Amino acid sequence: MFKSRDFLKWSDGIMETVLRKSVVGDSIDLLTRDFFNWATRNSIYPLHFGIMCCALEMAVASAPRFDAQRFGVIYRSTPRQCDVLLVNGPVSKKLKPALRRLYDQMPEPKWVIAMGECAISGGPFWGSYSIVQGVDQFIPVDIYIPGCPARPEALIDGILKLQKVIKENKKGLLTGR
Amino acid sequence: MERAPSRIDQDPADRVLRALAEGFPKSVSNGAKVRDGFIRARVDRGDLYEACTMLRDRQGFEHTSMISAVEYDNRFEVVYHLYSYQARLLLELITTTPKDDPSVDSVALVWGGANWHEREAFDLMGIVFKNHPKLERILLPKDTMYHPLRKDFKG
Amino acid sequence: MAEMWINMGPQHPMTHGLWNLKVKVDGETIMDAVPEVGYLHRGIEKICEDRTYTQIIPITDRLCYGSSFTWSHLYCMTVEDLMGLEVPERAEYIRVVGIEMQRIASHLMWLAAFAADLGMMAGFIYTMRDREVFIDLFQAMSGSRITYNFPRIGGVAHDLPANFERDALRACDYTEMRLREYEDIFDDSKIFRLRTEGVGLLKKEDALNLGVTGPPLRGSGVRYDIRKDTPYSVYPELDFEAKTHLGCDVFARYRVRMEEMWESCKIIRQALKKMPKGKWRVVAPRVAPEGTGVARVEDPRGEGMMYVIGNGTDKPYRLKIRSPIFVTVSAAPVMLIGYKLADVVSVMGSLDMCIGETDR
Repeated sequence: MFKSRDFLKWSDGIMETVLRKSVVGDSIDLLTRDFFNWATRNSIYPLHFGIMCCALEMAVASAPRFDAQRFGVIYRSTPRQCDVLLVNGPVSKKLKPALRRLYDQMPEPKWVIAMGECAISGGPFWGSYSIVQGVDQFIPVDIYIPGCPARPEALIDGILKLQKVIKENKKGLLTGR
Repeated sequence: MERAPSRIDQDPADRVLRALAEGFPKSVSNGAKVRDGFIRARVDRGDLYEACTMLRDRQGFEHTSMISAVEYDNRFEVVYHLYSYQARLLLELITTTPKDDPSVDSVALVWGGANWHEREAFDLMGIVFKNHPKLERILLPKDTMYHPLRKDFKG
Repeated sequence: MAEMWINMGPQHPMTHGLWNLKVKVDGETIMDAVPEVGYLHRGIEKICEDRTYTQIIPITDRLCYGSSFTWSHLYCMTVEDLMGLEVPERAEYIRVVGIEMQRIASHLMWLAAFAADLGMMAGFIYTMRDREVFIDLFQAMSGSRITYNFPRIGGVAHDLPANFERDALRACDYTEMRLREYEDIFDDSKIFRLRTEGVGLLKKEDALNLGVTGPPLRGSGVRYDIRKDTPYSVYPELDFEAKTHLGCDVFARYRVRMEEMWESCKIIRQALKKMPKGKWRVVAPRVAPEGTGVARVEDPRGEGMMYVIGNGTDKPYRLKIRSPIFVTVSAAPVMLIGYKLADVVSVMGSLDMCIGETDR
């Protein structure tokens, strides 16, 4: 009996061998790698997630004075559509599982920016019983932005540095190399 | 025949202190006027619920500002700050509980605004409020084992 | 019909700050609501028992970051009550100017977030731009944009910079002109009025019993403002009114906040004219006596209060903080039951939640 489930599995296997593991995939990547990388680094979508004071500066960074939208930064409300997780405040022990779940829900490729002293190391609340001393204890971080609170110009500078990091690590979208 | 209010009762601070002292002569002590618009008294924890009901119904204290819990070497103290909008008067009411039995009657049914203050005092200091509608942890995760504001907790 | 519990938060574009609202819906109508806070708990009261009195001032700034001048001023007032200090008059006037500028900046931030939630992005863009005027003044005054660390125990950190009075008066004129434009944009917008009138009713008796203070209380008809009724600092010498509105709904709270911004501009003008010359700070003793200190202020969000117990050393024995939003959020279920799921955004937005002070 012809089952659609079997057909899907067969066609998935064919695509996998042709595109990802053979020369066809490598040559498509060679042609398109630079183009997709340019598109990725100029359209960074952070998650609409504000914890504490640095979140006010994140909101002001998209206000008319410091306009971050000219760099392609648009905030999305759901983690399934985002590239970047901006952690901007101290992470308490109650929030830690929720934040880890948000990070896991984001699709690859993804980056994490730790904004402000509280996310880097605990900040002015260092030594408190109820916060995690630095967000890089359970999430891998790419860019650290210092400041308490970090100025909006510092946030835009951090985004530009992230663009440089993305440019240096070019990976093909099909094969991942 | 209507009796004119006596002149002792003109000042709302004195009227409240007198009502407390006469209503609960054995439990209330140290009633004093700290400054203009601010009075202070101590009450036993057995009479706390009746005293609060009397304050709300007859003396016009509609608003609970704050409920704090303090730990000393040999006792716990629960400090109630109550405010009266009509008389513009702040009352500080202090109750003492022994160290091994930190429990007080809950006033959450007298003033709805006291509900979350009592939950927070339970969460952070471990004071049990009897007859509270829903005494659960509010600020810390639900499965925390300790009460952080106690002096013997080193974070 | 099927009833189910929906989780709104902690990561949700409506929540400014992290809290969770579980609503039980029957179709689209709300049957019950349970707010859950605590995702931002930093243990500030425990930290404060380990730091000296002056080291706590930057921490109290970060309690409510939307209006941080009010909280560090409240802390300094409480410790001055404990120590029995007399603050010089010029310092009091500088503090009042700072508080009222902070009130306008905080209400503009609220209006930006409220308009963005209701779908009016034009409101967000305009108000954020106008808030920058006051942020520049704060930067000239204290060096920082949102958490200032400016009040000190015994006065303020340093004197006002040159030309501050001229710039502040220009800012007040500009703000009054823009407030007239906002009233045209928001009050005449039919969709805004449909979404805010008749929604989230909070009757006067409920508001008084549940401990609600600030603009939600004044929007239910109770004329109570701590600056007028139990005044502190130099407010007895300034001439302004406490504004109320009888609507009890979201539109009433919006009108109360807009009128408070007009009154704040009036207060800033008067305070700048009446400011005397003189010292701006008194040196405070390092060690506090045994005793207690209490102070209450009118925060942009309600009644803030602090209670400190000193024990003869240079660190406080116990510091207790009362936050207005902690109590107002517990009164939220009363305002939500019976309305539709889309009204949750208007109602919770009208309460101006700042979770930093709720969770401490």
